[in-house]
Amino acid sequence: MNSSIRKLFYASVVLFAALLGMLAYQQVINARSLADNPHNTRKVFEQMRINRGVILASDNTELAKNRLQGGLYYRQYPLGDLFSQVVGYNDMVYGQTGLEHSQNDYLTGTADEVEVTNFINQLTGKQRAGANIKLTVDPKVQKTAMTDLQNNGKPGAVVVLDVHTGAVLAMASNPSYDPNQLEADWAQLNQDPSGPLLNRATQSLYTPGSSFKLITTAAALETGAFTPGSQFNDEKGYIDIDGNRINNYRATATAAPEIFGQHTLSDAFAHSINTTFAQVGDKVGQAKLVEYQQKFGLYQAPPIDLPGDEVAVSGRYVNGHLASPNDSLDQVHVAWMAIGQENVQVTPLQMAMVAQAIGNGGSEMKPYLVDSVIDSNSTVIRKTQPEQWRQAIQPQTASTITAMMVRVVNEGTGFGARSDKVQIAGKTGTAEVGGGKINAWFVGFAPADNPKVAIAVVVENAASTGHDSSPIARDVVLSALGMR
Amino acid sequence: MERRRELINFIPVVLLTVIGFSSVYAARSAQINSSSLTYGLLFIAIFLAVHVFLRLAAPHADPYLLPITGLLAAMGIMMIYRIDPSLAAAQATWLLVGVGLFAAIVVVLRDYRKLDDYIYILGLAGIALLVVTAIFGKDMNGSGVRLWLNLGGMWIQPGEFSKVLITIFLAGYLHSKRELLSTTTWRMGGVPMPPLKHLGPLLTVWGMSFGMLLLMNDLGPSLLLFGIFLAMLYAATDRLTYPAIGLVMMSGAGVFAYFTKAIVHLRVDVWLNPWTDIDNKGYQLAQSLFAIGDGGLFGTGLGKGYLLFRNGQEIIPALHTDFIFSAIAEELGLAGASAVIILFLLLCYRGFKIAVATDDGFSKLLAAGIAAGFALQTFFILGGVMKLIPLTGITLPFVSYGGSSIVSNFASIALLVLISNRTNSERLKAARASELAASLGRSA
Repeated sequence: MNSSIRKLFYASVVLFAALLGMLAYQQVINARSLADNPHNTRKVFEQMRINRGVILASDNTELAKNRLQGGLYYRQYPLGDLFSQVVGYNDMVYGQTGLEHSQNDYLTGTADEVEVTNFINQLTGKQRAGANIKLTVDPKVQKTAMTDLQNNGKPGAVVVLDVHTGAVLAMASNPSYDPNQLEADWAQLNQDPSGPLLNRATQSLYTPGSSFKLITTAAALETGAFTPGSQFNDEKGYIDIDGNRINNYRATATAAPEIFGQHTLSDAFAHSINTTFAQVGDKVGQAKLVEYQQKFGLYQAPPIDLPGDEVAVSGRYVNGHLASPNDSLDQVHVAWMAIGQENVQVTPLQMAMVAQAIGNGGSEMKPYLVDSVIDSNSTVIRKTQPEQWRQAIQPQTASTITAMMVRVVNEGTGFGARSDKVQIAGKTGTAEVGGGKINAWFVGFAPADNPKVAIAVVVENAASTGHDSSPIARDVVLSALGMR
Repeated sequence: MERRRELINFIPVVLLTVIGFSSVYAARSAQINSSSLTYGLLFIAIFLAVHVFLRLAAPHADPYLLPITGLLAAMGIMMIYRIDPSLAAAQATWLLVGVGLFAAIVVVLRDYRKLDDYIYILGLAGIALLVVTAIFGKDMNGSGVRLWLNLGGMWIQPGEFSKVLITIFLAGYLHSKRELLSTTTWRMGGVPMPPLKHLGPLLTVWGMSFGMLLLMNDLGPSLLLFGIFLAMLYAATDRLTYPAIGLVMMSGAGVFAYFTKAIVHLRVDVWLNPWTDIDNKGYQLAQSLFAIGDGGLFGTGLGKGYLLFRNGQEIIPALHTDFIFSAIAEELGLAGASAVIILFLLLCYRGFKIAVATDDGFSKLLAAGIAAGFALQTFFILGGVMKLIPLTGITLPFVSYGGSSIVSNFASIALLVLISNRTNSERLKAARASELAASLGRSA
């Protein structure tokens, strides 16, 4: 019998080996997919037991805090819809967006730096807690931007950057939503065609229109092909390039285009003369136009501290996909690109960064929303250091463009942004979207002689830049400079 | 010698128990009070008392059996204590009853081979328990399985006891019929076949197991019973034909049950895909897998797993009984959970080793049957909660909560203790005798 008993033991060993193998499979190989199963509420539940960090504005206003109920921490957003897209939401059912998502490791205290503190705290008997996040945004500026957008009544976005650091002072997107009512409003928010959940400042791609001439001008000046005084003569209000007609601005599709006569490049910039910039683009050529787009950071995701899927890349889009910058364009498309009417699509954040770079002597900074991370012991465990992202253009070019931008506000298309309190420099853009409607842009900075804040404003389905985007830019700039 | 080794083996058991209970208490001090820590101390006291008892009653018994079962029981009561301290009190009481029965068996059945004379009574008693349960059994926990019998206000699972009784019966029966069953009278396609009339017992046990399944919806114990029978039949005859025929018969019964019994159908479907109806039918298995996966290599730590809802209700139904291994896997990780599996393997190893070492056929078959029973029961329940095989509701010996389970399993250990004690003391006697003879020879 001994031999059969031994064989029974060997059979048992096989059974136990199968158990060990399956155990290792479930706990090691399959563990990730089990953890990611949406029905596995472990992670969310675990995080709701953590006293999640508070999110503060630059003036220490609470933007997100906690309400303790039944041992679980629920999120509250005291300012309602003001910072919804930037701060995002943290919800047991719908997950996380915005900074709630990108800063989750700090907020829950699972980031390495916070773990150390938590370990020490546990030894001393204190409760585990997440770190607080202090932002660069200023609620006063944000409020001005949001109120102006809401009063205007059309969808749009405003981005305000600190010219020297790249810190985001305001980032508003209209329409917005109340994150405190997320679960109740979820279905409605998702059906709303105006997309209130969308962060238009970083996610929406718009045709830049004439605001793109900032980049065309930078290329024109730095290649040495043109100076602000370069002479042009506009006799017809249109030019034909390779058999295609490009018109100057027309009030309606059937109206006669404006005719500007003899003028300089600087005049053309102030009055946004399309025919002139079409010729500039034609002369500068596609390679240089694309090179300067890339110098300003197009074709790359802006390195901001929001979740990657909430930051769109600016650049030329074909059939909804970012095209390669090296795609060869025919002559007329290069001319169209120079006046911002080709398939180039940009985010308000990207255009604010272009303005910031010009205001900062050509040095484009990495934009950021998180000023510092402060752990539960009030120790600053991380402070964002302003960092150059790229040197877009030479300082000399920047100051030349600045002078041209001042003329836009003082005597050109940006008149609506003029203020007697501060000299604002800027560039407008009117991108036709059909039905006589435009997307109205204002991109600029102030004060012109000592730039501090850079701004990009876009208003969708607008009537004109003078009516829609420029006055908002002026209000917000004054608010950011403490002059309002 | 054996007892000193046993005492040394107890040291890690005591240490682990102390550490385990302390860490559960530390992690859940808000929910539980410190007086419940006494279960840990009570537990250690029980096993040290058993050790002293064995020094007197069975000094040559296998020195690994008790430390292994002690460690398993420690992990069980620790986990139960972590899930619900009030259940740990009941489990500690049952542990005392189990140890009491253990001691009683070791004293009363000192000459356990006398059981061989009463095997038909024992076997009938085992079957009677099953029949009574089939008729009067109650479904206590809404699992759809009628396992419980009310015995003077106390709920017991007779199936657990009939497992032990039927194992004893089979050991005696197969021992006496061994020669007959091993003869070859005819061949089927060259394969030697046993005489057809001796397939009777096989058919009987098969019918019984199948009946249990059909009448009581009791998937686990019926499979276990049949598995133990096949293992013992193979041990007795050394003929693979029996388990082969048996497996074919069981497969046939399984296919039939799949198409006729809703519970079998459900268990198989959930095993194949727990994700399609994850909130209802697949819920228990899916939650078990989530818990096991969450454990990772080293676990969340005792008391820190996601095992209970805020109101203290178990997230995985039957967590403290059939699914206790999922709780261990989550909180102690691959390291702790594989230790449990290896402990069971060691327990089986000791059982089979005792079977090989002992000299009479009845003892051999009894020890092998008990060892095979532990191996199969562990495989059925652990394979079930890990989605290796369809779930068959059955307890994890010594670890799961449940009086019937712990008491009956201690009875099995008592039998192994008796067999090994007799084998070792007789071997010692023989060695001394030959030593004496040798020294007499030298002096002469």
